[in-house]
Amino acid sequence: MSETPQSLETPAPRSPGKPGAWHHASLARALFSLALVLALGVLFPAEGAFFRLGTHQGALRQASVVGILACGLLPVILAGGIDLSVGSVLGLSAVVAAKLSIHAGEPAWLSVLLVLGMGAACGAASGSVVAFARVQPFVATLAMMVFARGLAKTTSGGTKVATAVPGPDGVLRYVEVPPLFRALDAQVLGGHVAAVTLVFLAIAAIVGVVCARHRLGRYLYAVGGNEEAARLSGVPVRATKILAYVISGVCAAAAGICQAAQEQQGDPEAGVTYELTAIAMVVIGGTSLKGGRGGMGLTLLGVLTIGYLDKILSINAVPEASRLMLTGAIVIVAAVAQKNT
Amino acid sequence: MSQCNLGEPWRVQMNADIAAAAKEHPEIEVIFKDAQNDTLKQRAHVEELASAKVDVLFVSPKEAQPLTEPIGKAFDAGIPVLVLDRAVLGERYTTFIGADNKKIGRAAGEWIKKVLGGKGKVVELKGLMTSTPGQDRSAGFREAIAGSEIEIAFEADMKWLEPEARKEMDSALARLPKIDLVYAHNDPGAHGAYLAARAAGREKEMKFVGIDALPHEGVSYVEQGILDATFQYPTGGREAVETALRILKGEPVPKTITLGSRRFTKEDVKKGGEIIE
Repeated sequence: MSETPQSLETPAPRSPGKPGAWHHASLARALFSLALVLALGVLFPAEGAFFRLGTHQGALRQASVVGILACGLLPVILAGGIDLSVGSVLGLSAVVAAKLSIHAGEPAWLSVLLVLGMGAACGAASGSVVAFARVQPFVATLAMMVFARGLAKTTSGGTKVATAVPGPDGVLRYVEVPPLFRALDAQVLGGHVAAVTLVFLAIAAIVGVVCARHRLGRYLYAVGGNEEAARLSGVPVRATKILAYVISGVCAAAAGICQAAQEQQGDPEAGVTYELTAIAMVVIGGTSLKGGRGGMGLTLLGVLTIGYLDKILSINAVPEASRLMLTGAIVIVAAVAQKNT
Repeated sequence: MSQCNLGEPWRVQMNADIAAAAKEHPEIEVIFKDAQNDTLKQRAHVEELASAKVDVLFVSPKEAQPLTEPIGKAFDAGIPVLVLDRAVLGERYTTFIGADNKKIGRAAGEWIKKVLGGKGKVVELKGLMTSTPGQDRSAGFREAIAGSEIEIAFEADMKWLEPEARKEMDSALARLPKIDLVYAHNDPGAHGAYLAARAAGREKEMKFVGIDALPHEGVSYVEQGILDATFQYPTGGREAVETALRILKGEPVPKTITLGSRRFTKEDVKKGGEIIE
């Protein structure tokens, strides 16, 4: 998969710098960060737990939900924007999916479609405010972050939407989670891979192909590289920005559905601070927050780096306070490694 | 009723309990305020309710120090004040109603010691350890199992969050070939641990114990056979309304009411649990 556009069929500016050389350097640095973290695992294997297959399956499964958010953030960041609302949209989606499918008894496929549509609407709203009202992405998506969290709490009544459903008489009765939710929480491919990991990889593949091969991808790099030059060369800047946020919103909704399926409930607090972890994943992979540089391959390395770091600290039962400091230190090391690109 | 925040399901339940108890007495009306975890906002709410000359003021304060003064002023102005769940400093309030986390942790520990026959490997999934409920639920539990052959083989901070609990439990499962019981400081934590064990096909090997026993959460998990036990952390909503009624009738009320807790297990969940001392 190519990280930057190789050819341009439509008149659009190339991304700045030397794509080939930059790409290899950045890839090497992202691999270095991942190797650093994996070395920690080898050094501290937690009584051999690190060398067991289950640990790696677990690391992949746990990184998947935030990984889906990172996939959605990639197009936004490539276009020079940021989306702080993804964690809240995840929480809102989890609540709405659970409300529809567990409490209201609607078919799961319908709730999935509605929730993905809602995610797209959230993204379109943020994107429109950024593109038309020219509000800074940080501010526009901060507003969406607060709004979506509030909507999640209002919709759920502040409590978790779980399998105990109050009837009209106030008595609780228990309902089954829809089969689709169970399937999303299952292990597939002979029990080796979590279904959510497959969802994550499928989304990564689609977004990756769009960024690297599709015209929209070239527009994203162009807008992120130099917005004015892109506009002068006929790139539909506003539409490109809005579409980037729509992708981010849809991914956040998909992540919310996966979260609800794994928890078997919709938690209005789900996804708090996930946006920061997802941004860290994209950036540690070497995608520039200034826009115009980066790609899905690198983002996947970033997802693995943070995911494995989390897992290694967890299997070693490192106390929470030390975990925070270690994570901060590793993020700095990875960021410094990426700095000169 | 000044509530410090409605972001936590337990506090939503406290308000619901107050509303349900008040509904049985048509002569009283409850006005609810949500301070959204903002100390200054809660201070304003307390002052607002006091100047509206409410008959009884309920406050579940966010923090002791900053709310002591406004609560004291309302009390000095002759308004009976019931402080719920978290205490304030000094004596300028009518009655404090709350539960004892350490006692509940100890009760959980005693029960665990009994069902495990005094020995076994236990995973402790702790609530946020910078919060006092987390510290107390851990300390009480450890006090109760001290001297037995129960070993805490894995412990982690799951910050009261279910996904975190599931993640930490995955790690415990990866490390430990045999786990006898999981003690989580709240029911979502125990549920997350159960989901992790089930995904690994090991849920039958161990017992799961949680705390809080909200009707739609912990109690429902016990009824569904997911948890083996949950220990109630009562909201005191009903007791608050009952105490307020006694005050309104001019009856004397105690300065402190420590709420009893209930234990819900498979055997007694249908009967409404078992009272623990």
